[in-house]
Amino acid sequence: MRSAVVVPDKADDVRLVERIAHGDAEALGELYDRYGRVAFGVLYRMLPGPETAEEVAQDAFHAVWRQAGSYRTERGSVRTWLLAICRHAAIDWRRTRGKRVEREVTIDAAAELVSDARVDERVLTALRAERVRAVVRELPDEQRQVLALAFWGGYSQSEIAARTDTPLGTVKSRVRLAMNKLRERLEEES
Amino acid sequence: MSVERHPTEDLPAYALGALDTVENAAIADHVERCDQCTRDLARFQDALYQAAAIGAVDVDAPRNLRARIVLRHRGSRPHAATSWTARIADTLMRPVPLAIPAVLVVILLVSFAVVGLNRQQNDRYERALAGVADGRVVALTPTGANPDARASVVIPKQGQPYLVVRLPVPPSGKTWEAWVLKPGPTAVPAGTSNAGDIFILVLTAPIGAGDGVAITLEPIAGSQQPTTAPVLVADKT
Repeated sequence: MRSAVVVPDKADDVRLVERIAHGDAEALGELYDRYGRVAFGVLYRMLPGPETAEEVAQDAFHAVWRQAGSYRTERGSVRTWLLAICRHAAIDWRRTRGKRVEREVTIDAAAELVSDARVDERVLTALRAERVRAVVRELPDEQRQVLALAFWGGYSQSEIAARTDTPLGTVKSRVRLAMNKLRERLEEES
Repeated sequence: MSVERHPTEDLPAYALGALDTVENAAIADHVERCDQCTRDLARFQDALYQAAAIGAVDVDAPRNLRARIVLRHRGSRPHAATSWTARIADTLMRPVPLAIPAVLVVILLVSFAVVGLNRQQNDRYERALAGVADGRVVALTPTGANPDARASVVIPKQGQPYLVVRLPVPPSGKTWEAWVLKPGPTAVPAGTSNAGDIFILVLTAPIGAGDGVAITLEPIAGSQQPTTAPVLVADKT
């Protein structure tokens, strides 16, 4: 599994979620096989340690179990839905149980969008991963920084403005420009 | 304060999860009702997924994590997950004695439709409140005049308190008005809204510890004092 390039079929993902909605726990395991690595990698980066990432991963997959019946294909792919659930679970954990000191450590870790130790080629083809990396690198530093703080740090725009001593309007503008550019360039590449 | 136009400028930040709670709740409500924004949101989220994949740390999850996830759910049902439409479909799939008169089926379907609409509205109302991450939430109690009404006052750690409300559109010439109830007792006007369904109403009057909150139906321009009985009230927040 570790060395495999996983490019799951979207329709197959949807069928998995339908099985989960009907109470098929094995389907939940199959979803974990497909996306557990990236989900755990995201949680590991967002949270202070492996034990916490493990705890929140279980919470996230439990949320998948409970919410599978309300998943709608028109609202996005299964993988983005799962990623959103994982991020919300991590942000919830940090806001309710995370200690301040742990969060400050994560700010530093959040400062760069691209990690050195990547999980990309497990979930994207190698060629695709290289293109995504190139698109991210094209973003100006200040735009990449706000994206990283929001995505990995879980900070709101007003929190980023306060912590980086930047006007809120500037932060909003950077987020908007970065997200639009990211989306447009990745859609052009696909 | 319902969002009527497409929130094009804030949608990227919404996809990123970087909005504050009031903005987040308003846009979540809009996206719930807007196919175009739903599609745009999905495109932003897909781009984020790809960026996340190249930023995630490549680390082995604990070996038994998969087994624990599966075992936790084996033999149980995803009780909160099944949509109301799926439940109706499941119900209709069950064998029904042919002797049941058709009129009962019609009544049943109408009843399910009403319950389904309520459930859908409840789900959206709950989702709007689920976006509250760092505030206190106090539910208002519906009075006899409108038992289906729902509202909660959200008091964030930063920013203005606001109400998440589920009420129908007010009658022509009327508006929903919020009140902060001070000891005395005194009702301080705290904002109006002509919206219906699920909407956000930011409180314009300061709310202190122990103050109450109420919503009444008032003339379109609003009132300085309540002129009707509250449809929703919380004695203390």
